[in-house]
Amino acid sequence: MIEVKNISKSFISPKKYPGLKGTIKGLFSNEKVEKVAVNDISFSIGEGEIVGYIGSNGAGKSTTIKMMTGIMVPTSGSCLVNGVDPCKKRNENAKNIGVVFGQRTQLWWDLPLSESFTILKEIYDVSDEAYEERMEFLNKVLELNEFFDKPVRTLSLGQRMRADLGAALLHNPKVLYLDEPTIGLDLVVKENIREAIKEINEKYKTTVILTTHDIGDIEELCRRIIIIDKGTKIYDGTLEHLKEIYGTKRSISVEVRQYDKVKDIAFDELLQVEKDAYETEYDGEKSVFTISFDKRKIKVPQILSILMERVDVKDVRIEETQLEEIVKQIYLEQKEQAVEELEAAANE
Amino acid sequence: MKKFCKIYLPFASNELKRQMSYKGAFYLFILVSLFGSFINYYLWMAIYGSSGKATIGNLTKNEMVIYVFMVYVTSSIVTITLADWVSEDVVKGSVAMNLIKPIDYRLSLMWRASGQMVYRFFVPGIFVWIGMEIYKVKALGMEVVSPVTALLYVVSSFLSFLLYLLFDFCFGMVAFFTTYIFGMLMAKEAMLSFLMGQLIPLSMFPSVAQKVFDFLPFSSMVYTPVMIYLGKYSGSELAFVMGRQVAWVIFLYLLGSLIWKKVTKRLVVLGG
Repeated sequence: MIEVKNISKSFISPKKYPGLKGTIKGLFSNEKVEKVAVNDISFSIGEGEIVGYIGSNGAGKSTTIKMMTGIMVPTSGSCLVNGVDPCKKRNENAKNIGVVFGQRTQLWWDLPLSESFTILKEIYDVSDEAYEERMEFLNKVLELNEFFDKPVRTLSLGQRMRADLGAALLHNPKVLYLDEPTIGLDLVVKENIREAIKEINEKYKTTVILTTHDIGDIEELCRRIIIIDKGTKIYDGTLEHLKEIYGTKRSISVEVRQYDKVKDIAFDELLQVEKDAYETEYDGEKSVFTISFDKRKIKVPQILSILMERVDVKDVRIEETQLEEIVKQIYLEQKEQAVEELEAAANE
Repeated sequence: MKKFCKIYLPFASNELKRQMSYKGAFYLFILVSLFGSFINYYLWMAIYGSSGKATIGNLTKNEMVIYVFMVYVTSSIVTITLADWVSEDVVKGSVAMNLIKPIDYRLSLMWRASGQMVYRFFVPGIFVWIGMEIYKVKALGMEVVSPVTALLYVVSSFLSFLLYLLFDFCFGMVAFFTTYIFGMLMAKEAMLSFLMGQLIPLSMFPSVAQKVFDFLPFSSMVYTPVMIYLGKYSGSELAFVMGRQVAWVIFLYLLGSLIWKKVTKRLVVLGG
């Protein structure tokens, strides 16, 4: 459905200098700075997939989306969406896609929502029957009729986002790009939007590409994720696989009556592992003992049986690393790497 | 063709609705714009009164009355500053939302402009026009305008409308390169009101300046239709000035397409 091959985009902008003096200097200098926003990214996405496209702020997510929608021309590389090159045949591509940019609206600001929908109906040449059917469905999943006759500028953010999503889906696009569709929304609306995306994907086999900073969106919607950082792809695969690689940390918290007994357990001897293979922690106030470890080295049942045998356990909680933690870890790693590189460059 | 209209007509009708959805602006616009014309009118009357000449720059005092109000009617329907919309789209980055739809950006802007043109034609254009005709017959004792002249004026005004839009589109494209053109828009407005003959009839300029104005597209924008209305052109001259309008429309259309092609290649969408 979508084929992206070695796509790159760099922006050239005049060099800016700091301070007032710098601003004046900037007026006369002709130096240019090249900033690479997207660097040699390739991937392909099949029909009906929901792919989460994530990365820290300024990683190049939106730029990639803009290139796939045909509103930006890549510096090099190519992409094909449903067999059409979006940059060369923007109009043809536009008929196949629906786009929601969370921070913008494609609706007519001053007019009632219904007007925007009638315009879109004409623009995309949607037949009356198809329009009826689609509107019925959209009303069901997005509850548009509550505010269908209100001017768009009076809608709340949640309503506007639902309206925008509806507008992007009116012509039943084959590919749906969602650029931060849940930004700034409350939990209930977020949940509704996710449900709607899921239903749309199931009913119409719409391919969905989703960028977001909300891990909840990813966990609930995407089976596959692509992570980019500083314009380079650093991960492309299933969510489970990512959790397997990075989310190897487990922790067990037990609420105990007597801490003395737990304290004396020599886990390293019992499990025959190094002492630094695990970490223990005790919260005296709540009398909770926590032990965290790598699940590849130590198995959860092993620890549990040791604890159960020796102490009187009131409550047990087992935690695996949250996706949020994983993603944070990845971003941080990348950042450290970059800092190291910078330092290395500076030393030279 | 039918499908084409169906797609773009909503842009016009929506602009019309948008114009009317702000009631305060609706009434204020009529008031303010008429005010300017009356100031112009009294100013010219004072000039004619104190100069003692019967004609200034080829126009009699009565013709000047018509000139002032017809310039008002014409420029209110012709000068729809589409470049404002382009610059707003670029600065806010909302141009992206236009580009993701299977529509031609320039055409959608032009249709939108025509919605505004229709609005301006009725509010208050045509009433000023009719009022002026009544005044002309009753107070100045002149004959009512002939249907042929009125028709020629309408056709020529329409050409002016297209001409202005196409020019403004090319001008607006500058926004894509500089990302900010507010100052330039102001400068353009001031320059144009001069070059189009909005402030002073072009016939009052020295003949060298008039030659230069003839060469530029701006004189075809407001001055030409008003002069047609005044019956200053006839026969081959009339054909020539209207032909010149058509030529400019074609030229600016092609120029606009060329620039647009270049622009989309290096488009930078701001924000987000």
